[in-house]
Amino acid sequence: MTDNVYSTICPGCNFGCGLYIRENGTLEVDFRKSSPANAGKLCRFGMSLPKLYAPAKSVIDGKEVTLEDAAKEAAKRISAGSAAFLSFGNTTCEELVAFQKVAGSYLCTGANFEALPKDTYQTLSVGIPYSEIEAAKHIVLFIDPYEQYPLILRRLLSAKKKGAKITAVWWKSMPVASETIKPSDVSKLALTKDSLVIADFHPLSDSEQVKSVLALAKNAGARITFLKPFANSTGAYLLSKDAKQKSLAQLIDDINKGTIKTLFCLESDPSALIPSETLSKLTNLIIQTGQSSSAKANIVIAHEPLYKKKGTLINNEGRAQALGGAGTNGLDALGIIAGSKFEFNALHDSLKKAIGISAVDEFTIPKYDRPAYGAIQAAAKPPETKTALLSVYNPFMWFNLADDNDFVELNLNTAKALKLLKGGTLKIKSNGASIEKKFKVAPVQENVLITTRKFGIEKGMLTSVEISR
Amino acid sequence: MQKGEMYVGWSTKDDVRKRGGSGGLVTSMLAAALEKKFVDAVVVLKKINEFEAVPIITSDVNEVLNSAGSLHSVPSNFAKLIANRNLKVALPAKGCDVRGIIEQGKRNAINLDNTFIVGLNCGGSMHPVVTREMLEVMYKIKPEDVHGEEIEKGKLIFETKDGKEHAITIDELEEKGYGRRESCRYCTIKVPNNSDIACGNWGVTGDLVGKATFVEINSEKGAKLLQNAVDAGYVQVQKPDEKGVAMRAKIKGVMEDLGKKWKGKVFVPIENGRLEYFRKELEHCIDCGACKTVCPTCSCGDVSKCTEYHFRGDAYKMSMYHLVRFLHLADACIGCGQCSDVCPADIPLTRLYRRFANPVQEQLKYEPGMDMQKPPYFEVKLNE
Repeated sequence: MTDNVYSTICPGCNFGCGLYIRENGTLEVDFRKSSPANAGKLCRFGMSLPKLYAPAKSVIDGKEVTLEDAAKEAAKRISAGSAAFLSFGNTTCEELVAFQKVAGSYLCTGANFEALPKDTYQTLSVGIPYSEIEAAKHIVLFIDPYEQYPLILRRLLSAKKKGAKITAVWWKSMPVASETIKPSDVSKLALTKDSLVIADFHPLSDSEQVKSVLALAKNAGARITFLKPFANSTGAYLLSKDAKQKSLAQLIDDINKGTIKTLFCLESDPSALIPSETLSKLTNLIIQTGQSSSAKANIVIAHEPLYKKKGTLINNEGRAQALGGAGTNGLDALGIIAGSKFEFNALHDSLKKAIGISAVDEFTIPKYDRPAYGAIQAAAKPPETKTALLSVYNPFMWFNLADDNDFVELNLNTAKALKLLKGGTLKIKSNGASIEKKFKVAPVQENVLITTRKFGIEKGMLTSVEISR
Repeated sequence: MQKGEMYVGWSTKDDVRKRGGSGGLVTSMLAAALEKKFVDAVVVLKKINEFEAVPIITSDVNEVLNSAGSLHSVPSNFAKLIANRNLKVALPAKGCDVRGIIEQGKRNAINLDNTFIVGLNCGGSMHPVVTREMLEVMYKIKPEDVHGEEIEKGKLIFETKDGKEHAITIDELEEKGYGRRESCRYCTIKVPNNSDIACGNWGVTGDLVGKATFVEINSEKGAKLLQNAVDAGYVQVQKPDEKGVAMRAKIKGVMEDLGKKWKGKVFVPIENGRLEYFRKELEHCIDCGACKTVCPTCSCGDVSKCTEYHFRGDAYKMSMYHLVRFLHLADACIGCGQCSDVCPADIPLTRLYRRFANPVQEQLKYEPGMDMQKPPYFEVKLNE
């Protein structure tokens, strides 16, 4: 008897947090204190990983089969045409290179690069090292670090300790920031060349808002870094730089129009981002995955979970990190679909070549080109709603994982105006639907409700709602 | 062999003696326990590099013989690893590991009759990420070039692959914010006499320096464990000289006094605004629960008061989670530092827990994890 312990990376976001997964009858998370990205520390999602890694079973139309049979059937249905290929970047670079070869012309990483200037691609894809965040003099947050990317918090606190000023452009005051500016008052934000802007970029990002943040930084000569929500978002974007990509919105549109009938998802649960009514229009939903998915797929190709895989992830900083497993079933399945076997070493070499390294060393960040981008015309407008429900995208939302978050936050004035009772609930109406939720009084701006959970009434990040007692 | 006896010993296996720390006695004693079916399994550190090793439970003798020994920059705690496993197990343990194991024993999560605790003298451990930075900033050497490390005469010494030694006093390192973890600085359990057998290099003299381990037997189990290793031909021992015994006692005394001084330095009384102090320290908490998961004295599992009374939708100035844990740990905290290590918001949790635990444990004259004594009832005095 010897424990199976895997050195791995948390899939909760692209921060690159190292940890151990220990197989001991059940799965246990153990702290990998030597990890350069997180020093072994994990957020609430990282601590919940044993719940995420519920094993998947290969199936064809509800019937349990082998991986090989599922992959063969997937290949058959894909070959019928009208197929699209989706991977948000929840898997290794090696699998993503193979996936691109399988995908051909219809590849979707979720990101809407088409709507953004081409010369911003690198800036959006690779962030700056966390050590530079700690050394910044002025940090401007367009994210909520506590909920969205919690491991950035200690870097911000470290910067603050060294004298950095932290400004939040957000809907709620947060302890780490000494100044909070309402997003609608963003014109009051004073940036200089010493400022560092931290925003995020993901499949549900509003392209006009992204342009607006890029323009703010550009005009002030400030630096900007984008955090991302999937374990290998940076790898996915870097490796698909020259591929013809389609956005998530385009994919949804194509499925709704009926031009896409088969969707093949690699380590990506489409139900987290694609409306169920859209998914129901597909003839074939094929999911290749290492963990059980909440989407109802026609074919599931199930292989080892991420922590058992062999391969490389690239984090927000551009740091290449090796997974500690030996599993290549995912590549094998892709090989069956492609009709020819993929060799790991060849794929690994192409990754190294793409990012200009000779070996994967998690303690050395490769040198990336960080080209300046040109002037940007931004036309983002503040949303026009009387009361808005703000959905703060976070790992629990991206992965449909349960969390202790069944409430909304609102400010004291709103609670008083509605005569809400402590311990009571709040009625929220939108788009003909009505829900009743517990509430928490917090330093939130007027006319804003904040949630970190999907309630099912949302239409994007900000949803116009009516509220009552 | 019996309780109270002291020996100096070493592994009889050449490769273990050369590779292991201080003559490889601990590694060989654990391997012998496994080989002779004295135990079902052994806990060892599987070495990844000079700054990383992962604790594993194994019944493979070769895994034990090839294990890392102890590394100052691997600050893990083994108590939770063996809890609720129902194994007859032997394991190496720093003072804080031993205390965690005994506390788990009190909570019936570990059967101490089936647990052979090989205590390791410990002057403190270091966080691996801090150590890497320290090497670059203070020692001006690349972490990848480090071949080994040792603490001797108040200095932290790193040996590089070119055979050179690089030494800086621990005082100087800690003044600059490096060196040992904060909890290790004020820890006063330097020789773990709460273990079955306490091992270390303090007290090894003459030609045996660096090549042997000084051993003190603390229990009948400890005597059996060592005797088994000798009988199996894994370990050789001899009586220590008087000079060595005296030297060991002196180092122990000096280290304990240093720990007490650090305790005074860290725990400066909070004159006013005690509630505000705790509230401010905890304001960045993200409710990850890692501090509870890692705590070697907590055996509550998923359903516990601190989590059941807590709802993230509550708007209390301080969460029920922390309030319950402060209360629970007042008589249970062993000051191991694991909670501070894993906190994603870098909250100095051990320091906060000790602010409650120090006065309670001093008033009750009760030190958790030192023996099987159960904690006395304690009262909370409210300010009028």
